[in-house]
Amino acid sequence: MFNSGTVYSNFTPLVKSPVIGYRISGDDVLLILKKLTKRNFSKDHSMMKLVELHNIDGTILDKCSVVYFKSPNSFTGEDVCEIFIHGSPLIASQLEQVFKDYKIPGFRLAKKGEFSYRSVFNNKYSLKQAKAINLIINNESFSSLEYNKKILFKGDIVSGLTPLKEDIVNLFSEITASIDFVDDEDFNFKNIMKKTRDFFNICNKLLHKNRTKIEQKNICKIMLIGPVNVGKSTLFNMIIDKERAIVTNIKGTTRDILSNQIIFDGKKFELFDTAGHRSKQGKIEKFGYRKAQKLSKEIDHFLVLKDKNTRKADLTKLFKDFDINKNFTIIETKSDQFNYNSKNIKINHYLNREALFSRIKISSIYNKYVTHKNHKLEFNNSEIEFLERILEYENDIINERDILIIAQLIRNILDDFSYEFGYINNEDVYDRVFSNFCIGK
Amino acid sequence: MFHVEHYDVVVIGAGHAGAEAANICEKYGLKTALITKNQSDLGKLSCNPSIGGVGKTHIASEVDILGGVICKIGDKSAIHYRVLNLSKGPAVWGVRAQIDRDLYVKNMKKYIKSSKIELIEDEAINILQKNNKIVGLECLKAGKIKSKIVILTTGTFLNGKIYFGNEVKEAGRIGNSSSKELAKFINKNFKTMRLKTGTPPRIYAQSIDYDILDPQPSENNGIFLSYFTKQNTNKNVNCYITKTNIKTHKIIRNNLDKSAMYSGIIKSQGVRYCPSIEDKITKFGDRNGHNIFLEPEGLNSNLVYPNGISNSLDKNIQLKFLRSIKGLENCKVDQYGYAVEYDTVDPRELKNNFETKKIENFFLAGQINGTTGYEEAAGQGIYAGIHAAMKIKKIKFDNKVFERENSYIGVLVDDLTKLGVTEPYRMFTSRAENRLKLRTDNSYERFSSTINNKVFNKTEYNLITKNIKDEKKILKKIKSLKYSPNDLKTKRIKVKKDGKIRNGFEVLKFLELSTKKFKDFFSVKIDQKLLTKIYFDSKYQVFYEREKKSYDQLNKNKNMNLTNIDFNKIPSLSREILEKLNKHRPTNLNDACKISGITPSALFQIMKYKKISGNKIARR
Repeated sequence: MFNSGTVYSNFTPLVKSPVIGYRISGDDVLLILKKLTKRNFSKDHSMMKLVELHNIDGTILDKCSVVYFKSPNSFTGEDVCEIFIHGSPLIASQLEQVFKDYKIPGFRLAKKGEFSYRSVFNNKYSLKQAKAINLIINNESFSSLEYNKKILFKGDIVSGLTPLKEDIVNLFSEITASIDFVDDEDFNFKNIMKKTRDFFNICNKLLHKNRTKIEQKNICKIMLIGPVNVGKSTLFNMIIDKERAIVTNIKGTTRDILSNQIIFDGKKFELFDTAGHRSKQGKIEKFGYRKAQKLSKEIDHFLVLKDKNTRKADLTKLFKDFDINKNFTIIETKSDQFNYNSKNIKINHYLNREALFSRIKISSIYNKYVTHKNHKLEFNNSEIEFLERILEYENDIINERDILIIAQLIRNILDDFSYEFGYINNEDVYDRVFSNFCIGK
Repeated sequence: MFHVEHYDVVVIGAGHAGAEAANICEKYGLKTALITKNQSDLGKLSCNPSIGGVGKTHIASEVDILGGVICKIGDKSAIHYRVLNLSKGPAVWGVRAQIDRDLYVKNMKKYIKSSKIELIEDEAINILQKNNKIVGLECLKAGKIKSKIVILTTGTFLNGKIYFGNEVKEAGRIGNSSSKELAKFINKNFKTMRLKTGTPPRIYAQSIDYDILDPQPSENNGIFLSYFTKQNTNKNVNCYITKTNIKTHKIIRNNLDKSAMYSGIIKSQGVRYCPSIEDKITKFGDRNGHNIFLEPEGLNSNLVYPNGISNSLDKNIQLKFLRSIKGLENCKVDQYGYAVEYDTVDPRELKNNFETKKIENFFLAGQINGTTGYEEAAGQGIYAGIHAAMKIKKIKFDNKVFERENSYIGVLVDDLTKLGVTEPYRMFTSRAENRLKLRTDNSYERFSSTINNKVFNKTEYNLITKNIKDEKKILKKIKSLKYSPNDLKTKRIKVKKDGKIRNGFEVLKFLELSTKKFKDFFSVKIDQKLLTKIYFDSKYQVFYEREKKSYDQLNKNKNMNLTNIDFNKIPSLSREILEKLNKHRPTNLNDACKISGITPSALFQIMKYKKISGNKIARR
């Protein structure tokens, strides 16, 4: 549960890095800044200032950038400041200690999601927008990223569900009016039923159109295979380059196989490193090899690594074990040590990452498997699931003749919409009733 | 110096809330006094001359079955009946009766005088309390009166103002300095707010040209307001319909600056469901004209209530636009339409028994709580009366009937005391989540635990118990009959071939709704009223069970621990509700449902969320 009060939290991870960011939101922001920087920020809305931060005893804690946003023109709608300290977790802990030592009533560490909550609460963002922030951060595909960005920047109105929500609230309003205000207008049951069928038809159409779009492939899965000691892990580490790669999802050894997602040149890849194969395998390695075999069905493309010591029989076994047809590239490793006479791609560990990628033609591999790129989506995944839920009501409603039962079922749908848009209560419905129909004698 | 009489309860105000409160207190054996300034105001229908309608009949029928008077006296004074929503299920049927105003007051007076209620014609000027507990009240003539409980049902007496165009008048008793004391008492002790309503002009019947208008005849067809009414023997008269036209609209549009509501004099919240004619034309345009229902005010009255044209225009403009309407070309006006502004108490000042939180044994009921409508007032009156009786007489009463899922009175009380109001509160059937169950034709069943011979006379009590017995007998009979899908096929009834043996009650919903068919099928005689009732019971059974299940679940989970739950994660909760949950931090569901403003739907959402998320504690 969230309470009032001024809250702070880091918004970057607390790890050694060039910079660590802190955000503070609430009524006491100016007071805190004054104590911390000995400076009045009240007229510096949205301006980056380089200032000294002070410890309680007046010594300097850090010298860094601070920016202040005046309420209501901030993320949360409250007074907000952001402090960009040097990226030392120790400085961060000193800063938090200073915050504690101020002993300002209500000044505390923010809870998870509290900034977003405050922004929804202060009407800076709609519920959908706040959810979109989360979805943007946790995005899996570029097309859904674009969609969620649109929701965040333009509002609920761009969601494909918004017109449906409008439809259903209007429909429910009309049904409500036709029951509670039967005197006031001419309501036609047939007409209401037609609108109901239309609503479900639209839902069905949208669902079919968008489901295929969303399910479209957006990632290329590549597996590295080859005999032991051929250099698979070296290549794997070069590709995923822990220092520089945009790594979206570190899965570690959960599948007993190293796998890693990277984005290169706007394309998303998932790479799998496997245990090598040798005739006398230990139990654990054997297990890993089998796991890799099992996974091979999901794999788009194989990079088959070999070197001078690799025998033909080894390769044949690999091709058989992993059921490889045409979806492979043979790569000869350690080209600095050996001379190869083949036309195969040759690599060695002196190559830089860019050169490596161009040599193994990673972009054309991607284009081979991922044909459709960024679609304009009208829905995200959770919204599609939502549509499916709504359509479960279709039969019951369409076949019902009793308007009261229909009303009950449509109310259930409205409650489902509430989960997407925030609560739609009776008053919202009545507002619609009274603005759409001339009610009242 | 205290008056010699010591009462259990004194009810101030004898409108619909006051009459019901006093009546039920007397029935439950309380020494009861009813104070009214003027006996001719007893149960006065201050606005439209009709009782009932969709939502309104629903409350009225519950008052009726609790032992109230509004339906019985309504039927006695009715001169025209109409049943709304007859083409839909009985859960939303709404019988509406046009009432002869004079007859209603006469019948009410007769009834009150025949009871043990002490009718005091006087004016209450102050409430007497000691240590925030009622000791009595003070009247203008009678002086101080001792009473254990005071129920205040004085309607819109607080700071009322009347507007005709740009003309403003102080309304009601506020001009009287003595009742200012009472107003001061309320204003000092309770949070109040300002509401607005309007009323149409009253037209002389003789000045209307009925010959050129469409009549709406009475459907006096055996459906009455009261469960106990067998027939209505009054002469029944027609209502008539006419409508506004382009010319009318032009007159009104050109004179909006002479309307109190449009010229900006009135600032308080208007009523969305009761728009003035100015509103209708501004918002909805010319259309095909706006309907006006010409409702007679009584058999011997020469006045007509033109329903549909409440307004606050200047008097001259009113006459001008009226005379542009078909049938009203030569009309003469008795009293012009006006807008009223008044203060009401914020109903969140009340406990859920309608006793004020601040002063013990002080109850408020009716329009003073921010509602509108006779039926809404009556419902509150009887509710307050019963709770007063429970409080001092410790009468046995099954309070469950007033839970939201069991009655419209429950919905009303819950909405008022928990949510408060922003405009005069009127009942709609859509306010009830459990609408399919809250029917007028099963009130006696929903309230069966409260039916007793204190509140009904012998005839009434025997009638109701006999009907219940007959129904049980028929149900027992048809439930004992079993049918397989094949049996039903031979009787030409289509059901799923699921091999399920159904009893007669389960089959009933597949039959045609006719007493003859019923007799042919089950070989049991049944009357139409009872058939309709059990037919829809059969039809809605599956919904009742579903609804019951969710409420049972809610009750079962009342102790659900909410200490670790993050309410903000429940997306379907409204902002207001989130704010309240975060403020009060209920530790379990039971505490949550006691928080004012927490709706049952919110409770369901919390429960659902909690079940989905298990006991996961959000970790940073």
